[in-house]
Amino acid sequence: MTDPLNEFFVESLENLDQYDADLLILEKTPNSPRTIASVFRTLHTIKGTCGFLALHKLEAIAHAGENLLVLIRDGTLPFTQGIATALLATGDAIRAIISELEANKREGDFDHSELIGTLVRLQNPESAPSAPSAPSAPSAPSAPSAPSAPSAPVHEAELPVTSKALDNTVRINVEVLDTLMNLVGELVLTRNQLVQLASTVQSGPLPAAAHRLSHITTELQDRMMKTRVQPIDTLWSKLPRTIRDLAHLCKKQVRLQTEGADTEMDRTIVDAIKDPMTHLLRNSVDHGIESPEVRKAAGKNPEGTILLRAFHAAGLVTIEIIDDGGGINVDRVKGRAIERKLITQETADKMHHKDLVNLIFLPGFSTAEAVSMVSGRGVGMDVVKTQIEKIGGIVDVNSEVGKGTTCRIKIPLTLAIIPVVIVGCCGERFAIPQTNLLEVIRLDQNLIIESVHETPVVRLRGSLLPVVVLQKVLKLQGERSTVRHLAVLHVGARHFGLVVDSIHEAEEIVVKPIGRALMSLSCFAGSTILGDGHVALILDIFGIGSLSNLFDVDHMPGLAHAEVERMEDSPESKTLTELLVFRVGGTRAALPLEMVHRLEEFPAKDVECCAGKEVIQYAGGILPLISVARALGLPETAADANIIQTIIYRHQENSIGLIIEGVEVIVKEAVELQTAGRRSGVLGSAIVGRRVTEFVDVSEIVRIYAPEFMQCSR
Amino acid sequence: MRALIVDDSRTMRMIVGNILQEIGFETGNAGNGLEALTWIEQNGFPELACVDWNMPEMNGLEFVREVRQRSGNEAMKIMMITTESEADNVMAALESGANEYLMKPFSKDSVADKLTLLGVRP
Repeated sequence: MTDPLNEFFVESLENLDQYDADLLILEKTPNSPRTIASVFRTLHTIKGTCGFLALHKLEAIAHAGENLLVLIRDGTLPFTQGIATALLATGDAIRAIISELEANKREGDFDHSELIGTLVRLQNPESAPSAPSAPSAPSAPSAPSAPSAPSAPVHEAELPVTSKALDNTVRINVEVLDTLMNLVGELVLTRNQLVQLASTVQSGPLPAAAHRLSHITTELQDRMMKTRVQPIDTLWSKLPRTIRDLAHLCKKQVRLQTEGADTEMDRTIVDAIKDPMTHLLRNSVDHGIESPEVRKAAGKNPEGTILLRAFHAAGLVTIEIIDDGGGINVDRVKGRAIERKLITQETADKMHHKDLVNLIFLPGFSTAEAVSMVSGRGVGMDVVKTQIEKIGGIVDVNSEVGKGTTCRIKIPLTLAIIPVVIVGCCGERFAIPQTNLLEVIRLDQNLIIESVHETPVVRLRGSLLPVVVLQKVLKLQGERSTVRHLAVLHVGARHFGLVVDSIHEAEEIVVKPIGRALMSLSCFAGSTILGDGHVALILDIFGIGSLSNLFDVDHMPGLAHAEVERMEDSPESKTLTELLVFRVGGTRAALPLEMVHRLEEFPAKDVECCAGKEVIQYAGGILPLISVARALGLPETAADANIIQTIIYRHQENSIGLIIEGVEVIVKEAVELQTAGRRSGVLGSAIVGRRVTEFVDVSEIVRIYAPEFMQCSR
Repeated sequence: MRALIVDDSRTMRMIVGNILQEIGFETGNAGNGLEALTWIEQNGFPELACVDWNMPEMNGLEFVREVRQRSGNEAMKIMMITTESEADNVMAALESGANEYLMKPFSKDSVADKLTLLGVRP
């Protein structure tokens, strides 16, 4: 029998998802008794159960929320925005305690007296007219709490009827399904071996039995795949809350609509698109939807709409994020891309409107101006694109100024079993995913590899296609075969050719994770076992392209002919690093982006002095500050004397703020560090974006200027 | 002896179920009043029903009123499970045909005592 405590965690977290959704409904339609009852019941059940499980902190919070809800349920208190915010904070507090309980079996050291105080205060609105908003949430500009304005479709407010099929459903841990899926994978491989074996036998019962086994296995595999599908709603149902908080933060009014929430896909895919989806949505709210004033002035509904739409088409899942915001200003995109030297003026003039809009996906396009609290540390759209392309998907953007922006993602249904083409090279066999493969061509006297500025290319139907020789990339030893083939590949909109020795059959293979020792190699996506029992590695086309520096900024589609020169400096063996470039003391400096936890701005007047060090209050704690300029012996300059810009650096559990002058850009570059002229606090210098940039040695600076920081982390 | 646990919380059903099983009952589960009526239609009246107050679809009081209309229900004892804040409702439930009530949180001993009073002990 399961432990009631575990059941309590699972059930409470499930109920809290509904609780959040219900509160958002109540914000729009405050007088829905059914919804209020449902919200009440969630807290009531949690409180009632806590008594059995001796969870006193949790009980106190749920109790305070319940008391407030009693007044709303009985009609003595109207439901307001402030109450919604406080109740959402209550849900978050409960979640925090539950995750602490799950991890450490304790209720944690959270102090909830402020929250409970707010919940109590809200029970009596007259006594504190301005107080009723929970600590961290600014109230909305025009709180639509008037009960007489249900402009939103009321159907949304209807509670989903509790499942009638309760008795026919079994809850299974996902791990069990994953294990079963793995076993089915093994079975498929064994089946392939057996079928191959049986094909050598002409008579007897073996071929028929193998045939039958093959059929059953295929069906089993098919059914098994279906057990792992989840509706995209599992992801979407969490979004209204994100959007609400974000809209409040940006002082915007946003309504989220969904279409096709029941569209199903493998749960690994649902997991994989979570981050990019959230990022795109944040962008829509932050940069897409205009402020209510601007919208009103443009004759639009002050409340912006974001529509999420999902559907199956041609064996792929399409997800669209459509906003009715201000759209992307193509001229500004163009200007910025030229300014950042991502493209040249001539190329820009030749590009189509759609291609120009899609320049926002270029690495290095996101600028310091675009780095806001909402967009976090300012990872660019290129990261979104990379994440989606990694799972074999594509993303593109369409936009019309003044009307809105549509972002379209197309992704495969599953990652577990994929169609591939097997190719041979130096006696080894490799699998190329079909999603990346455009065509296969035999290399002969009509199609030869030429060298343009020492970069191998082929002329294919009038355009130059950069070429990568698999043997060279993987440094394979072996006979070079006389006949060779070219596999024309694409990752998103970027194309290149891969030279291999031979092309074998097309197969559906079961993807096996790659061994830990090989995990760090970016050119392999996994492995599989072929019908004859041999292991074949699955090529990661994106990884191979990146490894060969083919995906540098200048290799945009359509630009290939013009700028092949860039590839001249050693096309192999350089890896790209993401860098945060910033100004400090009038100098250009950089840090690997992975060392940056967050970027934060503080009002200069909030800096306090503690034990002779500069500190600031941040996220409920004390953040020590170090001036990077002072550490490097540079003049301390600031663009705006009232604001200090910081990079938050985290070491284990501790954070420290590095004061800089301002952020310039995030780029992806292959760095060659020159250590000549190295001095304290600097690792060396390198050319980043065609300019000399100093690399800051954070750990040394911290060691010198905040030695206690490193100590307390041990 | 059979006991039907009517509660919308899976955790509460498990807690109450564990206690009743230790005492020696076979237990059945229902998530609200409507599901409880369906259970009874399929399995007949149990000796005991432990009924939560606040449930969706059909709450505890509505269930008591409804089930007491049905013939053959007399053999079934009903025990309401409530919290302090619902104490007022206990009277209404007892008037409508509930036999006993339990205040959350409760121990195995207090459940056993109440059941002895009711005369339902396996």
